[in-house]
Amino acid sequence: MALQPGPEELGEQVVEEPEDMEDQDASSISPAEEITLPVGQGGEDESEPLLLPWDRFSAWLHCICVVGFDLELGQAVEVIYPHHSKLSEKEKTSICYLSFPDSNSGCLGDTQFCFRFRQGSNRKSSLGCFLETADRDAPVSLKRDQGHYYGYVYFRQVRDKSLKRGYFQKSLVLISRLPYVTFFHSLLKILAPEYFDKLEPCLEAACNDIDRWPTPHPGRVLSLPIMGVVIKVRIPTCYDKPGTSQLVQSTQTDSQVSIVLPTIHEVDLFRCFHPVFFHIQMLWELVLLGEPLVVMAPSPAESSDTVLALISCLSPLRYCSDFRPYFTIHDSEFKEYTTRTQAPPSVILGVTNPFFAKTLQHWPHIVRIGDMKQEGEMAKQMKVRKLKNLKTLDCKTGVYSAFKPFLNKDEDILKQLQKGVQQKRPSAAQNAILRRYFLELTQSFIIPLERYVASLMPLQKSITPWKSPPQLRPFLQDEFMKTLEKAGPQLTSRLKGDWIGLYRQFLRCPNFDGWFRNRKREMSQKLDALHLEALCEEDLQLRTLEHTEVEKVDLVLKLKDKLTQAEKNHLPVRPGTVSKLQAHIEAIILGLPEDLQGILHRPSTP
Amino acid sequence: MALRELKVCLLGETGVGKSSIVWRFVEDSFDPNINPTIGASFMTKTVQYQSELHKFLIWDTAGQERFRALAPMYYRGSAAAIIVYDITKEESFQTLKNWVKELRQHGPPNIVVAIAGNKCDLSDAREVSEKDAKDYADSIHAIFVETSAKNATNINEVFREISECRIPVLEASGATSGRGFQLGRQASESRRTCC
Repeated sequence: MALQPGPEELGEQVVEEPEDMEDQDASSISPAEEITLPVGQGGEDESEPLLLPWDRFSAWLHCICVVGFDLELGQAVEVIYPHHSKLSEKEKTSICYLSFPDSNSGCLGDTQFCFRFRQGSNRKSSLGCFLETADRDAPVSLKRDQGHYYGYVYFRQVRDKSLKRGYFQKSLVLISRLPYVTFFHSLLKILAPEYFDKLEPCLEAACNDIDRWPTPHPGRVLSLPIMGVVIKVRIPTCYDKPGTSQLVQSTQTDSQVSIVLPTIHEVDLFRCFHPVFFHIQMLWELVLLGEPLVVMAPSPAESSDTVLALISCLSPLRYCSDFRPYFTIHDSEFKEYTTRTQAPPSVILGVTNPFFAKTLQHWPHIVRIGDMKQEGEMAKQMKVRKLKNLKTLDCKTGVYSAFKPFLNKDEDILKQLQKGVQQKRPSAAQNAILRRYFLELTQSFIIPLERYVASLMPLQKSITPWKSPPQLRPFLQDEFMKTLEKAGPQLTSRLKGDWIGLYRQFLRCPNFDGWFRNRKREMSQKLDALHLEALCEEDLQLRTLEHTEVEKVDLVLKLKDKLTQAEKNHLPVRPGTVSKLQAHIEAIILGLPEDLQGILHRPSTP
Repeated sequence: MALRELKVCLLGETGVGKSSIVWRFVEDSFDPNINPTIGASFMTKTVQYQSELHKFLIWDTAGQERFRALAPMYYRGSAAAIIVYDITKEESFQTLKNWVKELRQHGPPNIVVAIAGNKCDLSDAREVSEKDAKDYADSIHAIFVETSAKNATNINEVFREISECRIPVLEASGATSGRGFQLGRQASESRRTCC
């Protein structure tokens, strides 16, 4: 007897879906709260399109690479799996250099890190439109990266006397557009050791497993079988209440059977910021303002962790400039980013090669991370160091910058975390405290902007069916600044300081631009949707009674066009709107002479 | 009702019908032209056994030699292994014995072993006698059944016997909660185990 247990009967909080891949629409329940996704018309959420072999794989990964060291060639991509995956020579070169630590870092044993590189040619995926649908519900910071790939690396370096070089050095690298750092690192932790042991059949088996995974659809709890274990994850949605998207498990299970990942993307902020703990608030400002920032660390693991932590401290705001968790002198953007003929670009780079200490000497903000293993490092780094002191390789851990933070230092959070260190509070708890702190800070900052931008929306009554939808009012900086007096961040944050100055600089930086463009698009879509709904409420037949045939035909064509647009852009209309409008169109067509009916019923030419 | 996840792997020579057994169990269907498995394929099915729900996490491994080395990933942490042979191929029964040896050496200490002599619908071409196989299974305290994925003979029964073995005696006699039971840790309480 087969049963689908009801949620109340499960010992876990995770409610699973049937693994039957064709039936992924079964109700999934978010662990935090049940979230109702806005239902688009036509029920497009109900069915996944027919997927071909490797389509499911491609929804998760572009490919898997093995990078090794050849005595004559140097680093080389030895294997690309699946074999048909396309990478340009330039991309391969990037992957080669980025998959190995720079020469100076020891990294004996196993190391995991991540990198990000620019996609070479304009490659179009046949899955494009389908993945867009899946991506729509993802939070901005978790959407597929359009112009870049991430590389998730598992590097092994062990002494091996049988090899000429004396060492076995190899990396297994996952190439993906998805920024699911924690998830892919966990996946590699399962996959890579098995691969180094059992070689290609292992990759073949893993890719085959991945090609049967459900697509990465936000909001669903996904069971992902891989190499003998089942990984359970939930991809957050943009409708989640911030800070509640974690998957929890109440019963202990055997990690050889199944693993529940509480998060797919969150890094351990406390561990990453530990060496520069006293400067977290200043770092938040630097990242928020899109200032050029370089992280110099002893290994790619530390550089990539720190860069990812910097990016994620802005959440739920998206960091819009380029960032490279691990950047090398071989990178194709090396010249572009290090040139002295222009001001340093708005990017965050993570580097390990000591050469950068010289190349990037002119950069305004440098985060220097020493060996993280050194204990007791934290307490000493109270002061921001002067840039001119950063000359030699053996510089001390700290933040080197002439930047004067806009906001006053929050002593409470520092005390709270320090107390945690003394009391040996678990790292996960420290991380949660820090994450909440950043979340509150970002929200205090962004709420006044959200409120002002919402006020740019035209009044509902200005939307009339017989005129085109009204335009958004323009964003006026002075007008916005005036709103801060009464409804500024002081409502939600007790931090004092020059908030106005912070906003003024923020409005000029790429993060504002990216955020505002996104909001504007959402609001225009909302306007279009409201307009469409208003049209539906009209008695169109009655309206068209006195009009000429030509005018009626014109109206039908315009309405049809609107419908196509609505479907294409997934306008957030009320359920039923589209079918109602379709009925209207149908009714008008039926009122026309037969020959015209025939023409108008024909499917519109593309 | 308590839900328990039971990892189960299928082992055995290529072509003996491992995937067919799983398809029959999970989908209740049969396809004579099934493709050879790559690595392993994964399926689940939840069944009720007494007062518990058993969710079988089934890893159906590839029988081909080149995937041989991957097997430990699939039997690691398994509550049970179904080792399949083809009653019309003596050689596949010898391969089965090697699997038993490997499990004994490297498998989880209290894994339940079930031996399935598949293709029993083809008894005209039989090469392995039922008695020999049964005697061997008894000697290693394994579950034994002859199955036919094609005719749906004894397929559900194999899994039910596994469920039975994985119910600790204490709980089977009336206790309700399944919590605290950890797979692979309570050999002595299972009614029938091997190795």
